[in-house]
Amino acid sequence: MRQLLFKLGITLLVVGAISAAALAGTYVITRKRIEKEDREAAAKASVQAIPGLKSPSQLKEEPKLTDTAKKAVPEVTKVFSTPKGNIIVIDSRGYGGIMENAIGISPDGKVIAVSNVSNRETAGLGSKTLQPDFLDKFKGKTVKDKLQVGQDIQAVTGATISSRAVTGQVKKALEAFKAISSGGGSE
Amino acid sequence: MGESTSFWFEFKKGFILENPLMVLMVGLCASLAISNKFENGIFMGLAVIFVLTFSNILIASIRRFIPGEIRIPIFIVIIASFVTMVDLSMKAYFPAAYSRLGVWIPLIVVNCIILARAEGFAYTHTVKQSIADGLGMGLGYTFVLLIMGFIRELLGTGKIVLFNKTVFSLGAYGRYAPSIFILFPGAFLTFACLMALLNRYKARQIDE
Repeated sequence: MRQLLFKLGITLLVVGAISAAALAGTYVITRKRIEKEDREAAAKASVQAIPGLKSPSQLKEEPKLTDTAKKAVPEVTKVFSTPKGNIIVIDSRGYGGIMENAIGISPDGKVIAVSNVSNRETAGLGSKTLQPDFLDKFKGKTVKDKLQVGQDIQAVTGATISSRAVTGQVKKALEAFKAISSGGGSE
Repeated sequence: MGESTSFWFEFKKGFILENPLMVLMVGLCASLAISNKFENGIFMGLAVIFVLTFSNILIASIRRFIPGEIRIPIFIVIIASFVTMVDLSMKAYFPAAYSRLGVWIPLIVVNCIILARAEGFAYTHTVKQSIADGLGMGLGYTFVLLIMGFIRELLGTGKIVLFNKTVFSLGAYGRYAPSIFILFPGAFLTFACLMALLNRYKARQIDE
């Protein structure tokens, strides 16, 4: 009995060790590439929040502003400054899971554009709220606007929850912008 | 039965006779969830073919060293390792497809097809037969995913988009396309219709 248990244990140990080695190898090979893809995808999406910026290299991440913004609005993940205004990246729950959007705001506090960084919304339904048709409705909005679905923003039919989530994020980005432009030093 | 006829037999049974989705009905959850887009079927199918074939090969080749009492944990460790390799590689080299398939790639581990073939086939057959079984079953699975993905994407959006290019379009239909087909009810409707067609085909064969 003892011998059998020993044999089983050794077999499992060997199988486990070989698998672990194979996985470690795959991880080492793919890690750098995965990190690069993630960073590039985020930067590429964020830069579109202000049309006219050419490449992600024009984004400057501002850790100080990010901290100030986070204090006012906890959902903020990043604040970039660019020659044409600020880009505020926010993530919060949508319908299918976490969605992350980048909101470009001009120095005078108007929304320039909204760009989706990542999402898990239903393809073809909730995802319509991340298309220009819907996102263009936020152009020129300021912190004084109501930004309520059903009042000044019309939801995408059948995707009310996603519409509300995106609208809420724009509103929060404007609030975060207010916090950084009043308290966190002038940019 | 000669060696070559047996290879061919094990290979082709996965398409109709023992199709994993339509006949054995294993691994349905993932296929219902991701078949809303034709392109998803290609990536999911390739991932499943890879994992299925390699876990079959490995298990068939070391089956004499696997003690019967702990074969299931060993199968699962082997399968999970292959799945994690696919998961990491897809994330690195096909990030767009990976973000759409999301959680369904890691969940191939618990896809019954893989474990069922390991336990029900590879553990008791030769390496050569197991390769045929893995490829055949994997292709049979992919085949159904592609049909379902094609029907659902076409009816639900009015076009087929492959690698960001529209390859086929129904024109004006697209504006009125009922999105129910790319949502969950569409998965059940499409699957039920395919099942009905297959059963009709089988019933006819028996009649004749």
